[in-house]
Amino acid sequence: MRAILAIASTTVGEAIRRKVLLIILLIGLLFLSIAPGLGGLSPRQETTVLTSMMLGILQLTSAVIAIVLTVYLIPTEIERRTIYTILSKPVQRWQFLLGKYLGAVLALGLMMLLMSGVLLLTYYLLQRDVSRLGEIAKAPLFYFVQMSLLAAVAVFFSTFVSPLVNFFLSGGLYFVGSMLNTIYDTFVNSPTTNPAVKAVASVINVIVPNFASYNIQNPIINPGQPIQNPTAYALFTSAYGVFYILILLIGAMLIFDKREV
Amino acid sequence: MAAAIETKKLTKTYKSRSLGAVNVVDELDLHVEEGEIFGFLGPNGAGKTTTIKMLLSIIYPTSGEGWVLGREIGDMEVHKVISYLPERPYYYEYMTGLELLMFYSSLFGMKDVERCKKLLERVNLAGDATKTISQYSKGMQQRIGLAQSLLNDPKLLFLDEPTGGLDPIAHTEIRDLILQFRDEGRTVFISSHELSEVERICDRVAIINRGKVVRQGKLSELLHGGRFEVIAENLDRSFEDTVKIPDAIVSYANGRLIVDMPEGEDLNALIDSIRSAKGTIVSVIPRRKRLEDLFVQTVRDTNQGAAR
Repeated sequence: MRAILAIASTTVGEAIRRKVLLIILLIGLLFLSIAPGLGGLSPRQETTVLTSMMLGILQLTSAVIAIVLTVYLIPTEIERRTIYTILSKPVQRWQFLLGKYLGAVLALGLMMLLMSGVLLLTYYLLQRDVSRLGEIAKAPLFYFVQMSLLAAVAVFFSTFVSPLVNFFLSGGLYFVGSMLNTIYDTFVNSPTTNPAVKAVASVINVIVPNFASYNIQNPIINPGQPIQNPTAYALFTSAYGVFYILILLIGAMLIFDKREV
Repeated sequence: MAAAIETKKLTKTYKSRSLGAVNVVDELDLHVEEGEIFGFLGPNGAGKTTTIKMLLSIIYPTSGEGWVLGREIGDMEVHKVISYLPERPYYYEYMTGLELLMFYSSLFGMKDVERCKKLLERVNLAGDATKTISQYSKGMQQRIGLAQSLLNDPKLLFLDEPTGGLDPIAHTEIRDLILQFRDEGRTVFISSHELSEVERICDRVAIINRGKVVRQGKLSELLHGGRFEVIAENLDRSFEDTVKIPDAIVSYANGRLIVDMPEGEDLNALIDSIRSAKGTIVSVIPRRKRLEDLFVQTVRDTNQGAAR
């Protein structure tokens, strides 16, 4: 366990010093700070649009950070040969991979925490309303599970594809996974859809992680459309995310165990 | 004496589209005894690092067998008592020397700050413990590398080009440390191109070329024989012309005759002729072959053999 935590700790140390990640983070923070100035809308519209825009900025920035951080996680260690010194110690490959993943998620969490703080502060300074802050703060928690899942996807691919291919694969999967409910409903509920297409859509619906489940902007923006039983929903989506993360990490460990580094 | 490393027909094959299947390591038989400094030599691309990586189970053999300290390669237990210093290592640059050692010690499940500090002292980095690795020179990075390789008090150390690219002072420091390892009873397996260094510190060597071991044995035996240097005085310069020994280098300066000649029966004949000419024999010194000559000749011979 100590080895896993040590590897996770160095991953955080490296991540928070990577210039490209810091630049993405700074851009995210900048947009979150200036979001209120991009309005020009009525006060009611402003609240709705502002909340939606800021959550969108947080989600997009987090997704980019998650992908950029994780696609280079394993290749960089191999390229710099740090992995050789580590694997020559009594460290199993699965421990190395798990340590790298946990470190990436922790670094991602720290960056998201910072952005969420700026988001909530900006909202408060503009609206002077603390009553909605708790509700808005739920979104980053859901996003964190979503980004942890995205990081697991990228770690899985990083065990057998190049960083560039991984960037597009993980990004593509995130995009499809975020649209999954819409795509699935379009194909499966349409009476004109071919049964074979319906079957393919059902298979994709099972295989591709449903990132859309974590997009809870609508109930937050529109208090009139709350999530029915929010505790159950949060527990279910968290369990769903953890389940997928475990599957992806086990797959990554099996592939990485056989890989020549 | 027990074997620290033993391989039997260890083979690593890579497949490429242009060349097909290439045996980077080809049925390698290696024997390293415990407590010795073993030099693993070969030209670039001979398969040295690939062999080390297989012994450390960083990559997997295509066929053949290998044992490290009596355990089959891949057995994680042996990783507790071995260590590895890779060629041109990279360390996390934001860490200080002490933090780096603490990181590596945690990979063994240890958290012993005092031991880390002692190791820093041992490699003369105690005064630089709080500097970040990015501030370390190449020689300092190599020394911190050696310190991390001693964290688990290893029985066997794999050092890949430990003195590569270092200045003469750093060279000497690293060499002294390696000699200390042997005095402490550790086995040291060195892959290197620095043949003069290897000749000075190794007990035995193996020369590998095209993935195969082409020479292996004690340095004293491999370099034994070869040539003699005979120095004589009280001889006329004209004596120089009477020495007709094949492959001998004869010179005459300041009243001294110097003959550098191959080992063989001609030596007695030369001594007899010097005495007959009333000359005085000052010295007869057996000279070892140089490792560099042995290496070049061995690699050349195997390359020519492969070309035929």
